[in-house]
Amino acid sequence: MLRYYFKLGALSIRANPALSALMVAAIAIGIGACMTMMTIRYIMSGNPISEKSDQLFYVQVDNWDPSEPYDEPNEPPVQLTYLDATALHGAAKASRQVISFMSMRVVEPHGEDAKPSQIEARATTTDFFSMFNVPFAFGSGWDKSSDDTNDRVVVLGQAMNQQLFGGEDSVGEMITLNGESYRVSGVLDYWSPVPLFYDLNNNPYNEPAQIFLPFSVAIAGEHDRSGNTSCWKPIGDGGRAALLASECISYQMWVELHSDAEKQDYLQFLDDYVTEQKTLGRFPRPLNNRLNDVEEWMEYNEVVDEDVGVLFGLAILFLLVCLLNTIGLLLAKVLRRAKDTSLRRALGASKSALFTQYFVEASLIGVGGGLLGIFMTWLGLRGIENLFNEFDFIDKLVRMDWVMMLAAVALAIVSALAAALYPTWRACNVTPATQLRIQ
Amino acid sequence: MLQMKNVSKVYRTDTVETHALREFSLIVDEGEFVSVTGPSGSGKTTFLNIAGLLEELTNGTYELDGRDISSLSDKERSRVRNEKIGFIFQSFNLIPELNIFDNVDVPLRYRGFNAAERKKRIVDSLELVGLASRLQHLPAQLSGGQQQRVAIARALAGEPRFLLADEPTGNLDSHMADSVLDLLAEINASGTTIIMVTHELALATRAKRNIFVRDGSVSDGAPNLHLATATG
Amino acid sequence: MELGPIWRAILRNKGSYVLIALQIAVTMAIMVNSIAIMQERSSQMGRPSGVDEDNIFTLKSVSFVPDVDKRALIDADLDMLRSTPGVIDAFSSNSFPLRGGGWSMGLQLEPGTGIDGVGTAIYFSDEHAIDTFGTNLLEGENFASDEVTWNDEESSQWPGTAIVSRALADALFPDEEGSVVGKTVYINDDNPVKIVGIVDRLQAPWDGWDNVENSMLVPSRRDSDMVRYIVRTEPGYREELMPQLEEKLAENKDRIIEQVRTMNEVRARSYLGDAAMIKMLSFIVVLLAGITGFGIVGLASFSVSRRTRQIGVRRALGATRTAILRYFMIENFIISGVGIIVGGILAVALNIVMVQAFSLTPLAWYVVPIAMIVLWLVGQAAVAGPARRASNISPAIATRSV
Repeated sequence: MLRYYFKLGALSIRANPALSALMVAAIAIGIGACMTMMTIRYIMSGNPISEKSDQLFYVQVDNWDPSEPYDEPNEPPVQLTYLDATALHGAAKASRQVISFMSMRVVEPHGEDAKPSQIEARATTTDFFSMFNVPFAFGSGWDKSSDDTNDRVVVLGQAMNQQLFGGEDSVGEMITLNGESYRVSGVLDYWSPVPLFYDLNNNPYNEPAQIFLPFSVAIAGEHDRSGNTSCWKPIGDGGRAALLASECISYQMWVELHSDAEKQDYLQFLDDYVTEQKTLGRFPRPLNNRLNDVEEWMEYNEVVDEDVGVLFGLAILFLLVCLLNTIGLLLAKVLRRAKDTSLRRALGASKSALFTQYFVEASLIGVGGGLLGIFMTWLGLRGIENLFNEFDFIDKLVRMDWVMMLAAVALAIVSALAAALYPTWRACNVTPATQLRIQ
Repeated sequence: MLQMKNVSKVYRTDTVETHALREFSLIVDEGEFVSVTGPSGSGKTTFLNIAGLLEELTNGTYELDGRDISSLSDKERSRVRNEKIGFIFQSFNLIPELNIFDNVDVPLRYRGFNAAERKKRIVDSLELVGLASRLQHLPAQLSGGQQQRVAIARALAGEPRFLLADEPTGNLDSHMADSVLDLLAEINASGTTIIMVTHELALATRAKRNIFVRDGSVSDGAPNLHLATATG
Repeated sequence: MELGPIWRAILRNKGSYVLIALQIAVTMAIMVNSIAIMQERSSQMGRPSGVDEDNIFTLKSVSFVPDVDKRALIDADLDMLRSTPGVIDAFSSNSFPLRGGGWSMGLQLEPGTGIDGVGTAIYFSDEHAIDTFGTNLLEGENFASDEVTWNDEESSQWPGTAIVSRALADALFPDEEGSVVGKTVYINDDNPVKIVGIVDRLQAPWDGWDNVENSMLVPSRRDSDMVRYIVRTEPGYREELMPQLEEKLAENKDRIIEQVRTMNEVRARSYLGDAAMIKMLSFIVVLLAGITGFGIVGLASFSVSRRTRQIGVRRALGATRTAILRYFMIENFIISGVGIIVGGILAVALNIVMVQAFSLTPLAWYVVPIAMIVLWLVGQAAVAGPARRASNISPAIATRSV
């Protein structure tokens, strides 16, 4: 019987090629628009470290201006001062902790024709790699002793290793940064978390740094900071030393805590630290320490671009228009064949038989629209990639993984069913007698 | 009042030429009740369409009230249909979404009467057919006989020169059919010309004059009328 | 005009008509707001930066060899640039308008801590800045060459003079009638800065910043490893000189020359997101109009074919072709009309939501009425075809046996 209905449905579709095409196209475009924006939004708000994102916490303490908060209504600053970052890191009260900042370094490849280039480097501490599950292809990060002794050691990203050493195992090799030599202790595998959750202060969709070096080396070597620095108080004379002793915030800190108890303990530790600092005349504001896990931190920073939110909302409404369009057309088509329906009823078809028949027909349109919609989504993502191709990071945002594919199919099916329901129900509720009597 | 002279209608397609009417001539005077009868395929539907200005004739002349209306523009033809002819169809052809009042109203709207005038005519003609109490009802709520009577009211409301009825009782049972035919007789008695097209000989006897159509023209030989009335 | 019967007939077939009206309504809501956003972005992008964009290019110089005399390097570079034929002027700075990154400070009217200030962008510069940027000095004077000093790393003291943008001057002294040249403001809590000149317009590096029109030229030069050069050429010379000068500067292998960009490119990069948003929204608007337009065509076609017999009967009863055409146009007018009115309400409601959630600007008064008219025209145009087909239905259908 189902095959019969499929046949009837197909015949009916073929009998109205233009209108059927319009209905399928409408659903497809609606789904395309929705899924394109949903994919981007999904990737932008993705959790690249979901396996332990609830164990990693971003540290905030409120060393800010007593007369106004860092941000309304009473938000503490989003980075730490040098004093606080080093003190808290040195206290080592969490299972693991890491402090970091971004600097710009010039890498000088070997060889006559090799041109030096300026790249982003991340100055950080030894726990970075284990905390963030960073995969190594060769070697490993540096150990704690290097942190303390200003050992000029470096970890290369996969792309940098490809550029400098042709992708070979370069552990032990030397590279030159701004005229200084560094020893390679490890090379990363491909690693590109989206977004760059551990540093949301700059563009969260950039590639991660291709050079990692010890925090202390960067400070001692007076590397220029890249990224945001904010100060609420004048720095005073003394150049770099004054900057490091100031209330200017430039550094990010993450801690790893394995249970709620540990989290409470660490919050207590922060409170104690701030209280102590208050006696030294710092931290004029009331206690306001925060520990946000990865997802909370991303939400706090509103990682999803506002424009994406607007477009997503509009895309959903757009899909609604497309659905209304299709429902209207299906309804009209079905009502026009009211006589046919009545005839079938007169010949013995039950209401549910007719329901199934029309539902199958409508579903054919819906599924067709859905399948085409997946293609439209792909087109939409390519279109966006094209619009933004100035920005290298865009290709990460427009990839459709299997979760999104499934979502697209699910959306298509739901849309198809939604579109089919009302017209079908209307069709079946026509009294046969009325239809056959009145023309 | 109505005069058709040597009217012929030819339908031409790429392959086939059908002569639906040949040399058809007919004169109808004011106040007559004429039936046009013939078997199916005889051309009576074509006659109906031409008489009702629903189609154009190929050859010949058609005069109504002395005016040659064989070759009028579509706009003028619509005007003549609206003002001079009252249609009664076999399948009633009431508009299902409109109530009785609005259905009778349809031709009057195209006439350009004001609202008061229209209302008066509608109520009067519905009273004539005995359905003035059903103004707000939808066609689906009426019996077949009642629907046909509404159609008759619609046809009369504009005071046409003649009523053109196409198998007016074809979709009715004999009881309703009789009442409709009585109604038509009444209307004719009060002076309205009626031309009725039918294939039923029994119906034809209710008219005062009978025209027989065969193969597109008026036929000389009439079938056995007495036999028809005896059995019908 | 058969408004009464048409309306009553519509009411008896509510289902389909409600769907079209709803579709038109939601379409209108989306279109109106999309256009509002597009307008807003467009006017954002249209704001002039205050500099001579067509003739300026910028580049970044990064020193990486230790123990280089950076001051001598910068001076030599600027001498070379300035003496090149076709170059009007050049100077070095930390940033420039629309770059996306830079330095901002707060300026106070009184010295002291905890006093509210006015935010401004800072451009470290010299006496060549104004000619290089091509911005007009409205009041006061340019820096004298001996007024400009190299920045002392150890000191946190700011230079005592500055040239500010008109907008910054107005923001600092809103009620001042005469010129504010000569007035003193305070930076870094208590460093006095005397305003010696006011330029017409000079935007900050961040195009989305509330204070984007506030900027301050500071007569101080920084000898950092990373320095930016801004070069202004005579009209028509830029295309030729850019690669030439880049090559010349790159001859020095102890530093990298990067991000050589025309000011037009800088602007385009800054507003890339907005430009893309405009494109995407216009795409949505066009698609939407298409879908709704074609949807109405489809629905009207069905509507006509469903009522073929009825149309024939009307013709038989005396309706002219024009009368049939008019019937469908009126019917569509009513349905579109309802859709458009509901749409107008929805559009305003959606706008209110977006203003709250996304800090959009509220709709201008004329947008909704214009959208109503446009959509109404689209609807009438869409129904014209099927209506025409309806009017051509032969009256002979009335007598056809079913």
